[in-house]
Amino acid sequence: MTDSAILVKDLVFNYGRLRVIDNLSLEIPSGTSFGLLGPNGSGKTTLIRLMVGLLRPAAGLIRCLGKPPSPARARYTGYMPQLPALYAELTVQQNIDFFARIYGLRDKDVRVPRVEEVVRLTDLWDKRKTQVMKLSGGMKQRVSLGCAIVHRPPLLFLDEPTVGLDPELRANFWDYFAGLTAGGTTIIISSHTMDDAAHCQNLVFLRLGRVIAEGTPEELRAATGDKEASLEDAFLYFIRQKEVSQDDR
Amino acid sequence: MTVSTFSIAQRIINQLLHDRRTLALVVIVPLIIASLVGVSVPDERILDYTAPAILAVLILFFGFLLTGISFLRERSQGTLERLMASPVTRLDIVGGYLLGFLVFALLQTLIIFFYMVYVLQINYQGELWQIILFQVLIGIGAVCLGTFLSVFARNEFQMIQFIPMIIVPQMFLCGLLWPVGQMPDYLQWLAKFLPLTYGIEGIRAMMLEGQNLLEVGKDVGILAAYAVGLLILASLTLRRGKVA
Repeated sequence: MTDSAILVKDLVFNYGRLRVIDNLSLEIPSGTSFGLLGPNGSGKTTLIRLMVGLLRPAAGLIRCLGKPPSPARARYTGYMPQLPALYAELTVQQNIDFFARIYGLRDKDVRVPRVEEVVRLTDLWDKRKTQVMKLSGGMKQRVSLGCAIVHRPPLLFLDEPTVGLDPELRANFWDYFAGLTAGGTTIIISSHTMDDAAHCQNLVFLRLGRVIAEGTPEELRAATGDKEASLEDAFLYFIRQKEVSQDDR
Repeated sequence: MTVSTFSIAQRIINQLLHDRRTLALVVIVPLIIASLVGVSVPDERILDYTAPAILAVLILFFGFLLTGISFLRERSQGTLERLMASPVTRLDIVGGYLLGFLVFALLQTLIIFFYMVYVLQINYQGELWQIILFQVLIGIGAVCLGTFLSVFARNEFQMIQFIPMIIVPQMFLCGLLWPVGQMPDYLQWLAKFLPLTYGIEGIRAMMLEGQNLLEVGKDVGILAAYAVGLLILASLTLRRGKVA
C-alpha cells in the first residue's frame, strides 16, 4: 500500500456548462478518516463519485491506492451513497449477502459468517429477516453501511453517512469508523455538519468545487487565531479569507 | 457470463418472489387477457389464426413492461449507481436482468400458451418445445428492449408512455390485426424494421403450418440479431463515468 490512499491533482468536472469541481487537488493519507466538509452544492458528492469512478473528470488525475478508479479496482473500495440505495423487497440479510457476492465473497463458508458478523455489527440481528421497506430511516442507513463494509475494503467512501441518524446512533457510527481506521482502513466521509467534522482526523473545507482550507480539526480552528473558535467559525473564517484574497486580485 | 451475472439474476428473482402482489399480477393478468381473447373471438378458426399473434404480442408487452419499470426503479433508487461502483461489469448487470426477468417472462408465456391450448382449446401444429423456444426468443428481445428504453425515462409515468409509442404501433403494423401484405407499401416497408413482425410471422408459421425452427430460420435470425443489438445498446447505456 502507498502512503497516500488517494491522490487527486488539478481535477475539473462540469455538469453541462456548470463547473462543479474546479482545479481541485488533495492527498489523503492511508489509514485515516478524511472529511470533505462544505455546504450543499460545494461538490462533495461529485468529488466522491469521481473518486469511486462513477463520473469521469473533464481534466486532472485521480489515483486510488495508486491506480485510476476502475471496475477491477472497485474490489478494494466500499461505497455508501447518500440515498440508502437498497433493495426494498429483500431482507436485511439478503441485501448484505447480495453485495458480499458481487464484491467477490463467493465461498459460502466465508460469506455467511461475514454477513452475520456485519448484521450484528450494525445492530440489526433482530431485524435480519425483515424486509428493508419495513425499516426506519436510521436502520436503512445501517444496512447501507453494512453493504459497503461487508467485503472489508481498505478504502471506504461514505457520502453523508450520518444524515437522519439519532445522536446515539451517530456516536456508534463514529466509534465504528474509528475502529476501522485503527485497523488501517482509509475512510473518506462527506458531510455538511461540523459535528461530523470534529470526528475526522483530517479535513478539507470545500466551497464551489474548490478546497478553501485543509488540515486537522485543531489546525483549522487554530488558524482563526481564536482559541474558542468552533469548526463552524473556522469554516466561515476561511470563506471570508478567500473572498478577501479574491477582492485583492 | 460470470458468477455476478447469476447473483444479479438470483437477486431479481428473490425480489419478485418477496413482492407477492406483483407476483400474483404476473400470473393473473395474462390469464385475464387470454380469457378475454377467448370469449371475444366468436369463431374457432379465427381464434386459431389470431391466438399465435396475440401470444407474441403479449410476450413482448409483458416482458417490456416488467423489465422496463424494474430497471427504471434500479436507476431511480440509486441501486444501479451502487452496482456500477462495484466490480461487476455492465454485461453482468444487463445479463443478470435478462436471466432474472426471462424466468418471469417465460412463466407468463407458458401460462398464456397452455391456457390457450387447454382451456380455449386452440389448435396448433409443430413441436411444442420448438414453439416455446421461439417464444423465449421474443421474450429475450422484450427484456432487452425494456432495459434499453428505461434509460430514456426519468419516472414510471414516462416509462408507461413508451407503450403507446413503441408497443402499440407494432401491434398495428406487424400483422396482428390484418396481413402486412394488405397495408400501403410504405407501411409494409416500415414493418420490415419492427421485431414483432418477425415474431408474429415465425410463431404463425410454426403453430399454423407446423414449421420448425430451421424453417423459420430467417425470423429466428432477425429476432436474435435484435436481441443482441438491444443487449449491446442496453449495456452501453450503463457506462461508468456516465451514471448521474
